[in-house]
Amino acid sequence: MRKPDKPFYFNTSESLIRIGRQKANNIPELWQGLQTCPDDSIFQHTVRTLQEHHFIRQGFSNDFAHWCLSACNEPVLAEQLASVDVREFTAIEGLRRRMVAIVDAFLQQHPQSATKPAYEPFYFCASSIVILPAQFAPDTLPGFVSALRQVSVHSIHHHFIEARLRLHRMSNDFSNWLEQEVGLTRVAESIERIDIYTNTMEGVRQQIANIVEQSLN
Amino acid sequence: MKTEQQRATITDPTDGSRSEGPETGAVVALPEATKTAPSRGNIRALPASVLTPPAPAPSPRLDDYRDIIGQAQVDALRFLARDLKGKSIKMVNSTAVGGGVAEMLNRLVPLLSELKVPTHWDVITGGNDFFEVTKAFHNALHGTGYELTKAAQEIFLTYNEQNRERLQFEEELVVIHDPQPVGLIRSRDNTSASWVWRCHIDLSNPDERVWEFLRPFVEQYDAAIFSSQSFARQLPIPQYLFYPCIDPLSEKNKDLPDSVVQKVCDEFGIDRSRPIVTQVSRFDRLKDPVGVVHAYKLAKKYVDCQLVLAGGGASDDPEGAAVLQEVKEAAGNDPDIIILDLPPWCAFEINAIQRASTIVLQKSLKEGFGLTVTEALWKGKPTIASAVGGIPNQIIHKLTGVLVHSVEGCAFQIRYLLTHPDFALRIGASGREHVKENFLMTTNVKRWLLLFRILEEAKARGAAR
Repeated sequence: MRKPDKPFYFNTSESLIRIGRQKANNIPELWQGLQTCPDDSIFQHTVRTLQEHHFIRQGFSNDFAHWCLSACNEPVLAEQLASVDVREFTAIEGLRRRMVAIVDAFLQQHPQSATKPAYEPFYFCASSIVILPAQFAPDTLPGFVSALRQVSVHSIHHHFIEARLRLHRMSNDFSNWLEQEVGLTRVAESIERIDIYTNTMEGVRQQIANIVEQSLN
Repeated sequence: MKTEQQRATITDPTDGSRSEGPETGAVVALPEATKTAPSRGNIRALPASVLTPPAPAPSPRLDDYRDIIGQAQVDALRFLARDLKGKSIKMVNSTAVGGGVAEMLNRLVPLLSELKVPTHWDVITGGNDFFEVTKAFHNALHGTGYELTKAAQEIFLTYNEQNRERLQFEEELVVIHDPQPVGLIRSRDNTSASWVWRCHIDLSNPDERVWEFLRPFVEQYDAAIFSSQSFARQLPIPQYLFYPCIDPLSEKNKDLPDSVVQKVCDEFGIDRSRPIVTQVSRFDRLKDPVGVVHAYKLAKKYVDCQLVLAGGGASDDPEGAAVLQEVKEAAGNDPDIIILDLPPWCAFEINAIQRASTIVLQKSLKEGFGLTVTEALWKGKPTIASAVGGIPNQIIHKLTGVLVHSVEGCAFQIRYLLTHPDFALRIGASGREHVKENFLMTTNVKRWLLLFRILEEAKARGAAR
């Protein structure tokens, strides 16, 4: 462990939802929309929606899966789409391709599902994001833990989940800093393994803090 | 019926006009008979404490919200406002009191001004003929058939022109609420402001003639805002989603000590030692109060509970009175069905009743956004509601509440939630978090600041080109 050269600058992000022009009335239209909607839309319905529903521990993964279950009554497709972990991707394009492939395979296996109208349409939305500095820039590990406990869950989401798409690498801002600035490779790896889909964002915050605190002890 | 509207320009009002009540906002004059009469069957007599409106409460300050949303969120609001310091907003709507828009502006305007984004609120004026036309437009935009005449168009345009000549637009952001003042956009060329149309109504199935008459005005704005994805239209301008919101510090939503909740229940004869199932809404067929009674009766075969139907609208509305009579007949002589026909200022009592409830229902057949659902979720109540209007935005089935589609489904979910308190507790807690994240007044303030920043940046980019 070494003293970091650079502090960790906590930021947070806030977003405004734009209502898009596309909508899907059935699963084939969802498949079509997934291929043609803007990257912002894929981001909104997979990554951003996790922030909007950060308090749910289980059963919510992304808007596409939720719609397939609640509006189309297709639990198989819903489960398959819900199993996609946004943290496996460093670019929206890969995430989009995975979603399209899942719906494509489902429609080939279940052609009868293509003709069923949804109970309500899926509206493709997108988000305009503004990044803001939080009030914390710790340059020690105890300071890092203290700040981590005080920032908003939006800040945790920003650094832990959205970071991949910004960094274009399979990591997050916390692990990146702990590894590069403090030399805590194992701690960084442990944080990286936290499951965001079986935790609330508060739970994620708690786990990160616990892991770093253990390294201090 | 409205008469000539007030001409005053309202700037940063802090009087906190008290227009809350059952979500409808209808002004109910309490009939003399109700004041003295004992209970009418299941319809409970009202205690003296609710017969006159209370004094308005002062508007909260931003720091008052810190314990609810956290210091970090308050800091984020201040930071978002910092770059907008000195730039101002004008809000224009058609009424200063009564209704959800005025209620929301009464809280929003002081908070934005406190953040040093001076926000001015103007109310348009018009005669009876104008408001008759705009009321008809309102209904037509909700899908009711309407014969749009040349005369109606003339009246609409004439009053919009009169208001356009009267109002000044010196702010950097002008927000026009709902269709009544939509024609003010004609002043846009004389200003450097960004113009936004905030539509609070459901445009998913409008009368096409009325919509086609209004559309050319809407298309001249820089952006439009809707309360739900499903309420929007295909437009060539950016459209944003602003959910309606509740104020957690208002009379209807603020925390109440248990002793206060108990006192209100005692006054209304509600037994807190047994489960309480409640629906809060005006006596309107679209809220399906008779369906609620049937669902309760089906559930009661299996579980002990009381049903509280708390609403208003029966005293000044013939249809409301008829619906109340239907509810009474459906209730029969069941002493566990408690019907409360409340005046519109009973926000505090509604708050207490919601907090005393074991389960809250909103079994509407049609709904706008459904702010009574938001209120129930905020109080952590397991909520059963129909999957209509904006309700699915609030209730994620089995995660933040339960969605139903029928009387039978509603009855089953009452039974299930009353017999599975752990599950009920869990969805109640998630429902409250959902409101905290998405449907509070402070989130609304944040959305306005974000939009203002985005529009200012777009303006700067345009100027640079």
